[in-house]
Amino acid sequence: MVVKNYKKNYEKDINMIEESTLSNRKSNKGKIAQLLPYLVLIIVIALIPLFTHSSYYLHILILTLIYIIVSVSFRFIAISGQFPLAHIVFMGIGGYTSGVLAIQLKWSPWLTMPLGALLAMAIGILIGFPFARLRALYYALVSFFFGVGMIQVITAFGRYTGGIGGLVGIPGIPGLISTNKVPYYYFILGVTIVCLLILYRFEHSRIGTNLKAIDQSHLVASSIGINEARYRVLALAIGCFFAGLAGAIYAHYNYVISPASFQMSQTLWIVMYVLIGGLGSFAGPIVGTIVLFLVPEFYSSLRTVVPFISAALMLAVVFLIPDGIVSLPGLLKLRLEAIRKRKREL
Amino acid sequence: MQYTALSIALATVVNALVLSSIYILVALGFAFLLNILGILNFAHGAIYMAGGFICYKLTMGLGLNPWLGMVISVIIMGLFGLFLERYGFRKFYGNLNKTLIVCIAVITIFENTANLTEGLTVETVPSFAPGILKFGIVSLSLERLVTFLVGGVLLIWALWFMRKTKIGLQMQAVSQDIEGAALQGIHIHRIAGIACIIACSLAAIAGCFMGAYLNVNAFMGDNIMLKSCMLVILGGVGSIGGVFFAGLLIGTLDAVLPIYLSASVGQAIVLAIAIIILIWRPQGFFGRKEL
Repeated sequence: MVVKNYKKNYEKDINMIEESTLSNRKSNKGKIAQLLPYLVLIIVIALIPLFTHSSYYLHILILTLIYIIVSVSFRFIAISGQFPLAHIVFMGIGGYTSGVLAIQLKWSPWLTMPLGALLAMAIGILIGFPFARLRALYYALVSFFFGVGMIQVITAFGRYTGGIGGLVGIPGIPGLISTNKVPYYYFILGVTIVCLLILYRFEHSRIGTNLKAIDQSHLVASSIGINEARYRVLALAIGCFFAGLAGAIYAHYNYVISPASFQMSQTLWIVMYVLIGGLGSFAGPIVGTIVLFLVPEFYSSLRTVVPFISAALMLAVVFLIPDGIVSLPGLLKLRLEAIRKRKREL
Repeated sequence: MQYTALSIALATVVNALVLSSIYILVALGFAFLLNILGILNFAHGAIYMAGGFICYKLTMGLGLNPWLGMVISVIIMGLFGLFLERYGFRKFYGNLNKTLIVCIAVITIFENTANLTEGLTVETVPSFAPGILKFGIVSLSLERLVTFLVGGVLLIWALWFMRKTKIGLQMQAVSQDIEGAALQGIHIHRIAGIACIIACSLAAIAGCFMGAYLNVNAFMGDNIMLKSCMLVILGGVGSIGGVFFAGLLIGTLDAVLPIYLSASVGQAIVLAIAIIILIWRPQGFFGRKEL
């Protein structure tokens, strides 16, 4: 049994090395050809407002884009082996900071939105250092406590945050307010694309490689000179920054935010988007958000049935497609090849 | 003046004990699963809610005696625990991400079912032991006394079960080393099934009592889930005694703090205390050194 295990791991390692060299060669060859499908996809998404005038559809598309930022930034933290169950709270911190500053001090949202994101990042760094002692389950649960506690703190400062009823009367972003949601749609689409590009670059830079090394074995990683605590905090800071930014945009888009939107169950749903889509791939959270958030919202007339379908889908994915929906094409390809091979042998 | 202070103090003590015993009942099952199988059963709160809800439905809908309703609800949830172990968790021992997905699916199904059948109305399970005990100036709700007594008896039974019976000892062996235990001839899946049945039954009992003590609603599981996570992690994974200690601590804080502070400030303080303790001692009060 042991021998078999070693063999398995060894082949996997060779495959990994070959894959990485192959992908390097590929990326040097035809960058434009590789980027073409994504460009087409972005153009198609950008053309949607021309075909639909329903503000409801635009609304759920905007929410999907915001949740895509949040879930992709969650995945960026998760690749470092940290599993914070408090991610939506950073979205809440960003949203509340931006909203309260805009209401109390009458600052422009263009100024307060980055400030909200920065405060979320600062709080991420503040909790990151003490939490760097904790691992796996302990990390997940302590961040879970932090998340719930933070929401209680926000509720307790009712004078500024509106307490349990929520913060109302947040000003919209100047320049984007119009009778329909099209300007907001384009703005948020642009922000999402920029965020995704930045997070992608981070993941495929030295930082991302170091984070993945820490995930695989923190002892080996620190023995080859990766400062584990610093990189984990860095991952948390970057992830929280984008979550805070998404929250701030959400606040100024929705005009109302309440603690109920940032509760524990919402974090768990973000985690679900990532895990169902596929933790191992950059596209995973995007696919997961589309499948578990956008599609159910389209069928909102069936509101009573949709949660059960989502639950069934989640169970189906966890048992049938262990690596998430993103790995489905690869899995089907492998199955087809096996069937073909068997036929040839017959 | 002195009289009211005394009665408030006494009511607080009783509340603390009742809350602690319910927290410990739920957390004990949660700790069983975490210690023995390495499963973080996030659906435990939903199972607790379902236990209370079935009891409520049986007593209010069918007019059964509350005790009978509780027994039936416990049996149903115990069987559900067995089902959950066999078809949910068996593939994923020790895998945080996969069990999390299964648990969220279970939570979604349970909460939405409860929400659809009852809506957002607040209902209570009829009292298990109506009446008030009076000792001189001190009066005490019989309900709370019964809750505390049943909770205490069950907890002592659970300790005895873990320490003295063959199955309990086998559970301890599995929690130390699952492969080693299998090599010694312990039927791991049977042990896992029994652990799941016990965990879900205890949660259902706690749900029934809490349904009578406060109320039942579709989202009552979320809070207790947080509390049982806190108890297990504070007490230390792998330690049953630690759960008791942490349960008394958190239950007392939860009963005392709301007297002086608003609910959200109180909860934030409890959570802050938990976080500070865990950063200072990541393995909890009585946990093993590893991790």
